[in-house]
Amino acid sequence: MSQRLAPAQTVEAATALDASRELFSRRGLSRTAAAGIAAVGTAPLFVGDPAEAAWSPGHAKVCRHKHRCEKHPAHTCRHKHRCKHRHHKKRVTTQTPAPTPAPIPAPTPVPTPVPATEPPPTTTGPLTDPDFVASALPSAWSLHLGNRFSYGVTPGLHQAMREAGSPEAWFERQLDPASVPDAATDAMQGWWVSIDADHTTIVQRDRDRIEGGWSAMANYARWCLLRRISSDRQVLEVMTEFWENHLHVPVHDDGVFTYRAAYGKLLGSHALGRFDQMLVAAITHPAMGISLDNASSTKRAPNENLGRELLELHTVGRGNFTEDDVKSSARILTGYRVDTWRTWNAAYDPTSHWTGPVQVMGFTHANASPDGRGVAEAYLTYLAHHPQTAARIARKLAVRFVSDQPSEQLVADLAQAYLTSGTAIDPVLRVLVAHPEFRSAAGLKVRTPTDDVAATYRALGAQVLRPTVSSSAANAILYQADAIGQSPFSWTRPDGQPQDNRSWSSATRVLASFHFHYQAAGRWWPRQDVVYRAPIDWVPTPGMRFDALVNHLCTQLLGKPAPARLVQAACQATQTTADAAITPTHAIVGWKMPMLLTTLLDSPDHLHR
Amino acid sequence: MTEELPCCEDYLRTSRRGFLRGSLALGGAAALTVAHGSTLVQTAYAATPAERVLVVLSMRGAADGLSLVVPHADPVYYQARPSINVPSDRLLAKDGMFGLHPSLAPLLPLWTGGKIAAIHATGLPVANRSHFAAMEEVEDADPGSPERVGWLNRLVGRDGPGSPIEAIQMGGGVPNAAMVGPQPVLVTPGVDGVSLAGASDAASEAARRAALLTTWSEARGELATGVDTALDVVADFAPVRASSTTPANGAVYPNNDLGKALHGCARTIRADVGAEIITVDHGSWDHHTWIGGPDSGNLKNMADAFAGAVGAFFADLGPLADKVTLVTISEFGRRVVENANQGLDHGHGNVMFAMGAGVRGGYYGTWPGLANTSDADLRVTTDYRSVLNEVVTRRLNASTAQVFPGLAPQDLGFITSL
Repeated sequence: MSQRLAPAQTVEAATALDASRELFSRRGLSRTAAAGIAAVGTAPLFVGDPAEAAWSPGHAKVCRHKHRCEKHPAHTCRHKHRCKHRHHKKRVTTQTPAPTPAPIPAPTPVPTPVPATEPPPTTTGPLTDPDFVASALPSAWSLHLGNRFSYGVTPGLHQAMREAGSPEAWFERQLDPASVPDAATDAMQGWWVSIDADHTTIVQRDRDRIEGGWSAMANYARWCLLRRISSDRQVLEVMTEFWENHLHVPVHDDGVFTYRAAYGKLLGSHALGRFDQMLVAAITHPAMGISLDNASSTKRAPNENLGRELLELHTVGRGNFTEDDVKSSARILTGYRVDTWRTWNAAYDPTSHWTGPVQVMGFTHANASPDGRGVAEAYLTYLAHHPQTAARIARKLAVRFVSDQPSEQLVADLAQAYLTSGTAIDPVLRVLVAHPEFRSAAGLKVRTPTDDVAATYRALGAQVLRPTVSSSAANAILYQADAIGQSPFSWTRPDGQPQDNRSWSSATRVLASFHFHYQAAGRWWPRQDVVYRAPIDWVPTPGMRFDALVNHLCTQLLGKPAPARLVQAACQATQTTADAAITPTHAIVGWKMPMLLTTLLDSPDHLHR
Repeated sequence: MTEELPCCEDYLRTSRRGFLRGSLALGGAAALTVAHGSTLVQTAYAATPAERVLVVLSMRGAADGLSLVVPHADPVYYQARPSINVPSDRLLAKDGMFGLHPSLAPLLPLWTGGKIAAIHATGLPVANRSHFAAMEEVEDADPGSPERVGWLNRLVGRDGPGSPIEAIQMGGGVPNAAMVGPQPVLVTPGVDGVSLAGASDAASEAARRAALLTTWSEARGELATGVDTALDVVADFAPVRASSTTPANGAVYPNNDLGKALHGCARTIRADVGAEIITVDHGSWDHHTWIGGPDSGNLKNMADAFAGAVGAFFADLGPLADKVTLVTISEFGRRVVENANQGLDHGHGNVMFAMGAGVRGGYYGTWPGLANTSDADLRVTTDYRSVLNEVVTRRLNASTAQVFPGLAPQDLGFITSL
């Protein structure tokens, strides 16, 4: 869009930048301005929360401020600044019209969205791009943004961007998912009982052989895949996957099925919130405890598994801590127990908590009380705000969303945004998306197998219906992902599946993706409870030339006109001449349509994002 | 290190003596080749025909080795399993200590031919009762290393980069942990999976290949390389796809997943396209309930499927079996004492089988003796890596340091020296 600064820029210069980046940062700035005077009681989890701005990590460690919510008087806790009450979470912001007393007028985004029918403030002013709104096709920029922050650009997604006024405005709206209606995923409610059941029910169903633990996890993976395909809150889904891989709990770890769906949903509720809060929620969660043995850790023999991975994988990374740090880390986390293999009830057990002074890197605490939850939360908050954690998360974001070899400058810029925002995630994403390195990275990332499955269903417009039998598409889709080499969160190690290109570029993967594409394009399997487009529906004007049809299909499947090589490839694959008239009885509308569609799906344009 | 029961020393000695004959018979096996090598399409990473083949059969879910190879002379076995034992008089190939489950009857010809070794009380040095963690640990086989590279990947990579078809996982789409690593390997649901989707005959394959080359002509990067390699692999694998789908030598595979996978293995080996390592999975053996006895039950059903498929595999191979060694492995064994559901919970030690080329048949291992307490395991007296190490060093000329770093291997003697 506009010229970029030279890579070696100062922090000051980096914040000046170009118009589009300012558009992103403006909201953040005005929030910060409002922060000083906003009331504490409103949506404290929101970015730029005043209390958050006021306290330092040091304060968090010692904070014992009681907090009572005015709207929910029954809710009292001592985490005045880190309250996790569900009414304060971003995704479920209440209908309170946000009494933000900020005198700043219009463009200040109110945390609580106005009803979706009214145009939100972000769609007005500079965030509206008339040329884009008028364009029938995505721009190169909107295609790139959409490919990275959705599971595939579709005509529907382009339409949503146009309705938002610009790709940037769409992205802003996506960062506030509660403002985006999501009928498709709402309709999935109840498809699988275990997704919304409590652990007692899940265990009972396993024991009664109604839905075994393994099946419950398969169903959770299906639920995740289908959300990625159908949700209109694409950025939320993308970021939920990102964090669920970062704070990875393998679905098939023994016993994890009792809490895994709840864990995933919890991470989803934090995915566009703040990492410090997400970290506390994740590390103290029974699913994590079961997976990495903290659920059975005791003060007599603290199990170091979670304490170590917390440092090595979830926060500061290898090389930044000692074995003594690991010991203290494990001691701090003792107490979060689960009654495994019996009731599976989770509870904090003070008799299991190791007491005594602890030190992990720069964090020290007397840790004198048998109730160590305050220490644990302060410790986790310390880790979340650590510069090494910022650097690791920044790099991980860059590898998933920009390229396999992000520049040190990009990583530093993201880490800085993360630290400045007090671990809030939205501001980091704004910096990422506005970064020149992001803009020049279009098409550089290989779609993982699950990315491919989601993008292919989206491209083909295949609608998955409520499953009625085991062969239903909603069930079979998991095997399609497995056949390409990966299903959601089944990576067996705690480090989460790799996100680099090389890991997903083997000959095996390529052949499997091609088979999947052909299977889906041919509508051969699955056939149950899925609605595919009929071949004739892909032909807008019967009798049109073949090359024009290929071009049309490219716009539908890939979001852009056909490059010459794809027209040629389509001719070769289907043994059809470019000028052939595609009448309703032409073989292209019949048995050759699967080969035509798969030619486009097998292209680098579809297999990269 | 561990106490040894006298009877075990006896069986070890007898076995070794008894199978000298087998080792002598194997002298010329390595020279055997099949004439399909010339059809190979030469590529940058073209595979060369494999003189010797290793097939790794993973019994997923933790098979009960005490039911497959029954220690009938250990009195605790019958005390601990009142409702799920295999009576001594039903065992096959009995010696003074052990006998085979009757469902292994299809393997009896191989056994009497001295081509099967059963190595008992093997496993991870330290018990790990989680299926997934144990599989990962077993297949990584490099304790303490932060790198995620499986032992088969290290094995196939021992002489530098090669074609992905040198190591093939026959079944599934997700590489198992043993196969994961820097060396390219091929994972396919079956023989037909190593093909270009939609290429049903020579003409459609040519059209498809041309179209893909056009599609990817301007692409660069890892996936473009992957596509190039995939096209090569499909060409290299053509002799396998073209091979007869009728098993040779009148072999009849059971109609189960393992039978299909091993049939695919036999076709791959016969076509001689350079596959040196093939892995197949068989499971689940996770029998917490109704293990059953010799005539019915979960274990019998699985053992029938296992023995039928493996027996058919070696029959199908015929003379080619002289270049193929098959080893079985399971992530851990099961408890000694039966549970309230006539099943067995997660334990530790297990039995491993080695069959085929180079094997000196018989019972091996150091018997630790069973204990009749509710949480008793079969104790591990042989690191499972020593078993695998003997196969790969003696059959495939690999070094212990390459494949099992840090292992001080035990010499078990069930594979003849090179």
